[in-house]
Amino acid sequence: MMNHFIVLAVLLPLRTCYTTHSQQESTVFPVTYLNVSKELAFQRLLVEWDVGKSAHDAELAMSFEIQVRRTGETTTVWTEFHNVTLDKSGDPLHWMWDSDLPLECMSHSVRIRTKAEASKIWSEWSPWKTVLGLDTLNDSGPQIFPNEKIVEEGSDITLCCIGRKGHVIEEFSLYPAPHVFNHTNSQIGLLTLKNVAHQAVPHITVYCRESCTEEECYDHAVLFVGKPPNTPNDFSCETQDMRTVTCTWSQGGDTYLYGNHSPKYTLSEEFSQNPIPCTVTCSEQCSCSWDIGQQRIYNITMTVENPLGKKTAMDVFDVTHRIYPAAPFQLWEECRDTEITLYWKYQNKGFELFCQTEVVQPDGKVELHNSSDSHLHYASITLSGLQPYTEYTARVHCAAAQHFWRWSEWSEAQTIRTMEATPSGKLDIWREITQVQGGRNVTLFWKQAPGFRANGGSISYEVTWEKEEGGSKLERMSFSSACNSTRISIDNHSYRVSIMAKNDVNYSLPSVLIIPRGTGTEEELSGSELQEEQINGTDDGIFISWEPRHMYDSYIIDWCNFPTLQPCDLQWKRFRPNTSSALINSAAFVPGVRYNFHIYGSVGNRVSLLKKKTGYLRELPPLFDPKVEKVELTFNAVTLSWDSYPTNESQSGFVRGYHVYVSPIQEVCSLQGSKKHVLPDNSVLCKYTIENPEEKRYTVEHLLSNTKYKLAVKAYTGGGETPIVNFIYIDTPFNSNMLYLLVLLVIVPSLVAAICRWKLNWVKECCCPVIPSPNKSKVLSFKEFKNGSEKVLKISDCIPDMLAVDNKAETQELHPWSQLSSAPTEAKTDHNSSWIYPNENEERAFTHTPTHQTHTWFENFAYSSHFADESCPYQIPETLETGKPELSVVLYQPHYYFDIFNEDAASTPRETPGRKTSLRYISQTDVHCLGRRL
Amino acid sequence: MPQCPPCHSSSSPAVTKGLLILWAVPSQGGRPLPPPTLQQIQALVRHMAEDAQELFTFYEENQHLAIHHLCRTNRPPEWLRGPVLGPGGLRELRGTMARMAQALQDITRHQRDLNPPGAEILRRLASTHLKVRGLLSNLDGLFPAPSPVPGHRPPASPTAPTKIFRQKLAGCQILWSYARFMAKLSARLEARSRREKRRSHRGPRPPTRS
Repeated sequence: MMNHFIVLAVLLPLRTCYTTHSQQESTVFPVTYLNVSKELAFQRLLVEWDVGKSAHDAELAMSFEIQVRRTGETTTVWTEFHNVTLDKSGDPLHWMWDSDLPLECMSHSVRIRTKAEASKIWSEWSPWKTVLGLDTLNDSGPQIFPNEKIVEEGSDITLCCIGRKGHVIEEFSLYPAPHVFNHTNSQIGLLTLKNVAHQAVPHITVYCRESCTEEECYDHAVLFVGKPPNTPNDFSCETQDMRTVTCTWSQGGDTYLYGNHSPKYTLSEEFSQNPIPCTVTCSEQCSCSWDIGQQRIYNITMTVENPLGKKTAMDVFDVTHRIYPAAPFQLWEECRDTEITLYWKYQNKGFELFCQTEVVQPDGKVELHNSSDSHLHYASITLSGLQPYTEYTARVHCAAAQHFWRWSEWSEAQTIRTMEATPSGKLDIWREITQVQGGRNVTLFWKQAPGFRANGGSISYEVTWEKEEGGSKLERMSFSSACNSTRISIDNHSYRVSIMAKNDVNYSLPSVLIIPRGTGTEEELSGSELQEEQINGTDDGIFISWEPRHMYDSYIIDWCNFPTLQPCDLQWKRFRPNTSSALINSAAFVPGVRYNFHIYGSVGNRVSLLKKKTGYLRELPPLFDPKVEKVELTFNAVTLSWDSYPTNESQSGFVRGYHVYVSPIQEVCSLQGSKKHVLPDNSVLCKYTIENPEEKRYTVEHLLSNTKYKLAVKAYTGGGETPIVNFIYIDTPFNSNMLYLLVLLVIVPSLVAAICRWKLNWVKECCCPVIPSPNKSKVLSFKEFKNGSEKVLKISDCIPDMLAVDNKAETQELHPWSQLSSAPTEAKTDHNSSWIYPNENEERAFTHTPTHQTHTWFENFAYSSHFADESCPYQIPETLETGKPELSVVLYQPHYYFDIFNEDAASTPRETPGRKTSLRYISQTDVHCLGRRL
Repeated sequence: MPQCPPCHSSSSPAVTKGLLILWAVPSQGGRPLPPPTLQQIQALVRHMAEDAQELFTFYEENQHLAIHHLCRTNRPPEWLRGPVLGPGGLRELRGTMARMAQALQDITRHQRDLNPPGAEILRRLASTHLKVRGLLSNLDGLFPAPSPVPGHRPPASPTAPTKIFRQKLAGCQILWSYARFMAKLSARLEARSRREKRRSHRGPRPPTRS
């Protein structure tokens, strides 16, 4: 029973809950009140509605679906679900909707339906509630909405033009005309601009016209396209005098909105919650100033606002930390030779200042000197370590000493000159000594050394000199500041020269030079015993080196800037004792001029010449070519000489030698000892090089006789040589030796031949008798062969040149001469006989002269009657041509032979072999020669 | 200041501009300037007529009002309707020029809302305004009159438009009417000058003013 009760107790509330819930699910709360109005300033619809009181009492959470519809459009333009939990106050509900179309353009209707959140059932829609647009009115003419509007650049806007009832909008346009969506040809014209851009013109003009042309048919509107103001990012406030604060800021970019639409600036103070009573003025920057009174800490908000937006900037500050002092003024000074005390005044001094003085030195260097003020109305600073009689420019600016904020503007710059003082440093002096009759002329030079300072306005120089040994009166001369040299005449004693600079205050320290005792010779001064060394220049100058010696306290190099002029502008440069080289340069140095440098060592004001050097900044080719003064010509050589060509300092470089150019035959340089040289026009010359500049004579050999040549002689320096322009032309003579040779080779043999022909019989008798006399044979002319009046030939002692064996009797019938005459070739001769030559030379010397002529032979023959019995022990069987019996003609190699082309004078060839064979002789020397070779 | 010689009708615009400046500048050293001659007035009016036409043309183009000839109204404001030279002659011109000076100030004020500082339209309006004041100064020299009451200003337009476009259009219409008025005035003065020259050729007559 108890359990049953408990079950009932649980089920009953559940039942109650379920019933209530079911009721809520099924209950709807329709809109009982709906009102729609419009707020034209914001183009906004205001919707107000309510539901039944029971819903409020139940504090239901409800959903509302709200729809907006425009006249003439079948679909709703907006649908939104709005959730609200009702309260018991019973106040109506509100909703706002911003329209993208001006509400004037057409009527807008709203309806709502409701649903309790717990419920699934929507109420019925409320009836449409409409707010009328101006399209329903019968106005006096068309109207554009919005008529004037400021549009933010980049946004969208829709305009409409409402025509009168019964009229159609025919034209609805803009100028300038951006790309728009245009809908006309009804009572309402619509025009939409997307992403509006600022045009070149300040505003956009809108035109609307109905389908008529009267004045009342038009309407116009203006659109401004602009930008909201920029946030001023440099907003800052400060004070100059602790009485007035000034805030400044930049205007920012152009908003394209002007006049009444331009940005407006307002300042307010957050602590006092009051607007700042200041007037904003803008030119390059905007500023606003006001009196601060006793307030020290500020929180300033600056607001800039235009119709498109508002921006703010803030600055929180303590006035004592924002002091920007006024520039110091009324500067004055007290001067000494190395010090300046500068004074200045402040404005509105009520706080301690820290000042900075800028000093600009004559060389443009800037120094800053800090100082703190100590006087009430003015401040000062003493600038020390300055140069006497020098102009300085000074100016001052200041800042708050306690809380630095920023420097003031600079004061006016003050130019101040320090007072004069004694010249500091010494003059750098030098001399040039010239030997003259009875003494010396000494030209003294001086210049201000790097460490020298005149320290005054008017400088002059004083030169004194006296004999070093004493006993002479001190000579003295003064010169103005424009002078830098003078000439004095002294005898050959040693002199002490002193030069000082002088200004209005005092003399400088003297610079002393000892002129040593003179010997009276020019050589002593010129240092002719010293070898002059050649040096080469570089792009940076002429480099000079020397061997330093410990005894010298300085070195001096002197030279002439213009060596060819008189005076030559003597220059000198002094070097420290440990220096051993120097790069000498001068603006006067030019290429092609020889400069002479003298290097001196100085000790105790006495100088001695150490070295002489000469050189060019850059060598150039010779100024002129050697003039060939003498030409000696033979048939195969030419000798050129140019003795007067100078190689001294008049040249634009050191002459290193000469080139002799000769035109070759047929453009090929084959002349012995020369090199090929190609000219710019590609013509070829033969070049001979002479490397000794003092050798001014040259012979070109191996020329051809009776030939035309062109020659040129060029000097060359370290800078090269000039182009070849002029040539010397020669014609080699005819070679007379050749004529003599011709005579010897042609005429003499011809004469001999003629004489021979003329005295043929005599010659024949003499040289070629029919039967030669053995007594005339050379073979028998030796002493050992003589036997009384008879000459005896011992065959065993003979050395034959050649051996030929005739082994056929038929050979007598063969006529080698006929073979020779019919086919006089070597080949045929070789077939007919075998030849062994003693040596190669003989082989070459022997020539078978092919001829069709008959020949007469003059021969030394030896006769052998017992050839068949005595065989030579050295005989070689191979020489016997046994295999060729038909050609076994014995030929004899004569020691001498001579052909005479004369058939009449000579015996016929037919006779000669017959004579040989019949006599059967053979040269014994032939046998010996062959035997010896084996 | 050296006295300016009388201008002839054929004088160049540069000379008349010089005249304008001469009269726009207050007299120096307390010495009153000699009154201008009729020829000088005539030259100045001719120059102002040209200037008025140029200003209207520029304004109409610059303000995009050339469409449909909106500005070229046949109903000018009453004070510019004329006659350009009534029975009072040039003396009556002072009132018109005073109203025109005021109108130019209003147009300039409206244009300042539409244009950046230093815009060409503002420069031209200022220049024309200076010329109108110069002519007024000339007329004051030619026809000395009792000093006006301090702070006296010509009455404002009865219906000053408030909408920007209406202001632009009203200004444009005033400039159009002013240009026509000055053209007519210049023509009348030229005609009168020619008549007087013809008379002076017939026989000497004492010089007259207006």
